[in-house]
Amino acid sequence: MSLLVYGTITSIILALYTVGFSLTYGISGLANFAHGALYILTGYSIWSFLNQLHLPYLIAAPLSVILIGIFGFVVYWVLLLRVRGVALAELIVTFAAGVAILELLMWKGFYGIQYSLPLFVRGGMKIGGVALDYQRLIVAGTGLLLVVLLYLFVHHTRIGLAFRGMAQNERTALSVGIESDWIGSLSLAFGSALASLAAVVVLPLGIMESAIGYEVLIYALAVAIVGGLESTSGMIVGSFMIGFGQVAAARYIGPKWMIIVPLTAIILVLAIKPSGLFGQFKELEERI
Amino acid sequence: MKNRVFLIFLITVFVLGFSVLSEAQKEKAPEKPSPAPAKPAVMGKPIIIGVPTSLYTPFGRDGLKAVNLAVEEINAKGGVSLGREKRPFKVVVTDTRDGEPATPTHDALMAYEKLILEQKPHAVVVGPFRSEFLIASMDLVAKHKFPQLGTIAQTPAFQKQFKTDPEKYKYLFRVTTDSTVPGMYLSRSLDILKKDFKLESIYVLYQDTLWAQAFSGVVRKHCQENGWKEVGYDAYAAGASDFSPGLTKAKEGKAQVIAMMWDVPLGAGIFAKQYVAMQVPALLIGFIPPMAAPAAVKTVGSEVEYSIAVEFPVGASLPLKKLPKTVEFLEKFKRKYKELPEAPAVNSSAYDSVFILARAIERAGSLESDKLVAALEQTDYKGVSGRIKFNKETHTAIFSDKDPNETGVAVVFQWQKDKKGQLIRVPVYPDFVAEGKILLPPWMK
Repeated sequence: MSLLVYGTITSIILALYTVGFSLTYGISGLANFAHGALYILTGYSIWSFLNQLHLPYLIAAPLSVILIGIFGFVVYWVLLLRVRGVALAELIVTFAAGVAILELLMWKGFYGIQYSLPLFVRGGMKIGGVALDYQRLIVAGTGLLLVVLLYLFVHHTRIGLAFRGMAQNERTALSVGIESDWIGSLSLAFGSALASLAAVVVLPLGIMESAIGYEVLIYALAVAIVGGLESTSGMIVGSFMIGFGQVAAARYIGPKWMIIVPLTAIILVLAIKPSGLFGQFKELEERI
Repeated sequence: MKNRVFLIFLITVFVLGFSVLSEAQKEKAPEKPSPAPAKPAVMGKPIIIGVPTSLYTPFGRDGLKAVNLAVEEINAKGGVSLGREKRPFKVVVTDTRDGEPATPTHDALMAYEKLILEQKPHAVVVGPFRSEFLIASMDLVAKHKFPQLGTIAQTPAFQKQFKTDPEKYKYLFRVTTDSTVPGMYLSRSLDILKKDFKLESIYVLYQDTLWAQAFSGVVRKHCQENGWKEVGYDAYAAGASDFSPGLTKAKEGKAQVIAMMWDVPLGAGIFAKQYVAMQVPALLIGFIPPMAAPAAVKTVGSEVEYSIAVEFPVGASLPLKKLPKTVEFLEKFKRKYKELPEAPAVNSSAYDSVFILARAIERAGSLESDKLVAALEQTDYKGVSGRIKFNKETHTAIFSDKDPNETGVAVVFQWQKDKKGQLIRVPVYPDFVAEGKILLPPWMK
């Protein structure tokens, strides 16, 4: 039972790590390698608002999500606009921006046990005899709610429909008046805000430091590669495969092998089906 | 045009937001490694002390602070007597980043060698954080021939390597414990738990690095020899960030005690919060810095109550009434840096190492490495961490749990409530520093 409960929680955490990365890539084809850095930048931002400016948590957290979203938007127009369409250059720019953010945080001394966000609610309950804290339940609830809200957003709002149009065919979307840079920047803003939202609910589970940014990026990449970079359903399946794989590895082989699971999954998928289990971008090339 | 105006507006908001954060953060900027003597009364060319360590970890960061404190004191008194003149200490620092899980040992070695070649230190203190880096750096120190007084890395593999060629490695000294010492202290505490409360099942999890392997190995062997039932004995990667499998195993196996050995702040912090969140009904014991640090209650919560930790050596972060030098050192530290050291380990060794070096220089009357090594071998210094003498065969400080007037010592403490209901760290072992007895949580009775 504990395998089921903690496997599910771990999987949802992985899905939260990945959803922003996958959304941005799915809409604009932009692989945001600064994703992990934006995640941990959120933690730093909330901590600063709480401890330096003494804002209440209910203001600090949403404000940080909005700021990080705006940051993603600005990064697109300032750093990415001129290299747009050159995949390798986009990757280098976002990766460099991510490393710069993480090293800046490290330089500012963002490590040590004082950097910890408070739990939303203390205490816990039992599910099927397995003790689970309320914070993890909030993480699970957020993950499920996010899937529903994202579905409604992309199917029933003008921006969401424009996102889908861009994701399906950029040139056709352009021909009906959807401006690609505008949608591209919005997709990066949304992806960044989603990374930030994940940080808001997951970071209180532990203490924070900039190195977490690398870990989140690796997990997001692993899940996205396994599921298919642009596929939402693939992202969910990938999260559960890696999440349960990790918990099972810890239980049956040994905890130190947990870290191997995402890396092994990446290698296996790249060797067998490079576009990922649900990916379509490169399916044609693979067949040829 | 409207789009451009909107874009400029957004950029302005972002820049202003980040500026506010940066300004706010300046209030609590990390300690910069640039000690200035209280009184510029010293003469002569400075004696260069190198501090190549991992400033990311509280052990490296606070170790550097302790070194700076000692240097400031020595310089304020005129410096170190060398021949007819007094010479000040000057500290040069490099961040080897070896405490970060992703840093290859080779990168840390390059940073260390850069410090040696560019700054030409007369001696090095604090030194490598990660044991793997310490072992790798031994040849580097032997090549450049300067004394290194290590105060962090804890692996007993150091002694083994030293013995392979004592003449070559004679420049290396360890001023602190090796991890078998806290392992021994923890084992003694387990004896108390077994004798006083009849506890008998234990789950051990440890960081898969040299020092923690040795530490947990001592505890495991002791448990096997003394009738403990082992629920599990698991290694976790240093970069681990989810401990639910181990905690679940401990819970399902009805472990009465969970022993943990960990030093990476991130993993230890996550474990501490996860242990609290999962409500595992087992007594926590070991070396888990976020649960043992002075700020543990703020970080982890009131659930730290009853957890037991070993601090090695004494004086690292816990003032002990029965050892006044620990109180004196930590008061000075707090006065200068506004807070106690974060890490419950090795800070007092860093502080002591500077005085040990200063006295060795004065005894040697020279900065020449071989003379300095010979003088260091004669060390007999009563410092914060106890009486420091080196084992002649391994150049490691001698530690035990018998008498601080004879050897270096450590301490085991437990978080308990005082009369006002405040959580404090109460020394419980050994008897010569104990201020209370180990208590069993009410939910375990």
